[in-house]
Amino acid sequence: MNVKEYISSGIVESYVLGLTSPEEQAEFENMCRQYPEILQARIDFELALERQAIQNAVEPPSSLKQKVIQAISPAEAKIVPIITGSIATVKTNWLKLVAAACAVLLAGSLYWNISQYNRNRKLQETYRDLVRDYDSAALRLTEIEDEIAMIALNPNVKMAAMKGMEPSPASFATVYWDTTSKDVYLVVNNLPKPASDKQYQLWALLDGKPIDVGMIDNDVFVGQKKLLLRMKNVSGAQAFAITLEKKGGNPTPEGPMFTLGNL
Amino acid sequence: MRILKRNINYPIFCSLTNYLNTKTTYSEQELISLLQQRNDHSFGYLYDNYSGALLGVVSAIVADKETARDVLQEVFVNIWKKIESYDPAKGRLFTWMMNVARNAAIDKIRSKGYQDSKKNFAIPDTDSNVGSATMPQLSDTGLKKVLTKLKEDHRVLIDMSYFQGYTHEEIAKILEIPLGTVKTRIRSALSHLRTLIT
Repeated sequence: MNVKEYISSGIVESYVLGLTSPEEQAEFENMCRQYPEILQARIDFELALERQAIQNAVEPPSSLKQKVIQAISPAEAKIVPIITGSIATVKTNWLKLVAAACAVLLAGSLYWNISQYNRNRKLQETYRDLVRDYDSAALRLTEIEDEIAMIALNPNVKMAAMKGMEPSPASFATVYWDTTSKDVYLVVNNLPKPASDKQYQLWALLDGKPIDVGMIDNDVFVGQKKLLLRMKNVSGAQAFAITLEKKGGNPTPEGPMFTLGNL
Repeated sequence: MRILKRNINYPIFCSLTNYLNTKTTYSEQELISLLQQRNDHSFGYLYDNYSGALLGVVSAIVADKETARDVLQEVFVNIWKKIESYDPAKGRLFTWMMNVARNAAIDKIRSKGYQDSKKNFAIPDTDSNVGSATMPQLSDTGLKKVLTKLKEDHRVLIDMSYFQGYTHEEIAKILEIPLGTVKTRIRSALSHLRTLIT
């Protein structure tokens, strides 16, 4: 074959410019190995083409180099912004979540605070009531202790147990009389509740004569019963009796006798 | 996050330090060897010395400046990725890079996205462009400038095959001439082209 003809056939340029088919390409590479002139022709054209390309260079903007270098940088360096991006998204999502949670907590806390405030106010009221009740109960207990001490532990106190009479045989009341201080105490064990215009009256009997020792308050028969009723003092007595009189009492007994007992 | 961003820039700092410690010219063999060893600095050197020439090659095929720059970026990424497959026995490094550039540029102009955008831009010129598929559509840059010195039938063939990437068979179909004639005319045109650039 004629090497010169082959070189001038355009195959060299076709090959260098990438316009040959794979078969032509393989054939040309084979020819280059066999014929140094063909190889030289190829290199000459390549250099001419390179020179021509450099002469006709179009300078890219200087910023492109950094973009290109970043594009070829190791994978991890390129992955980093993606990862930080996703962290940032996760972070903002997380922040939104926290904000939402805070709002819910705040609302919850507000509701809880209001309900606790109301509950606290009720508890304070109840506490105040209880303290008052306790104080009065404690006071009452002290009074009762004093009264018990006065009548039960005092050797000068005499007792008259008054039994029920005709109108109400089940009635029963007790009088404690301090012979030294002359104080009279009455315990109403059992008496029927009087009509609102009537009142029981306690009498001391001395030498057959009744002496007024005081009225029994009708409140005794309503609500909390007072254990020991303080009556009027009496200087001397052999027996005691209770009669039912008009409201406010009478100077001498007029109504029926409910109880009677000797000292 | 600031620390991580610094990491992104790290390879660039790296190549700067390399730059200070390394000589600034290479023989083609040295350059190929360093590139195949994935040396950062050799890549910077390659870019500095050939980006303009390769953008010229791309611009002769891709008219839009922005798109041509995008293609150039792809070209350098491809060079970096495929450098192992470059065989010096088959041609010079620049020849190989020029073919990488031409292939990327032709892929771009044949991509659907590019065709669509060109259609949109071309609307006002439609009348003057009717039946101009075989006509050079670009400003004359680089090798393309040489084309103007060729005979009309040669120019059309080089434009279609080299600058538009049509196969010989496609050209034969479009121009309604026998395949054998296409081949011989292209060879003849290229021989002539050689005399114009050497």
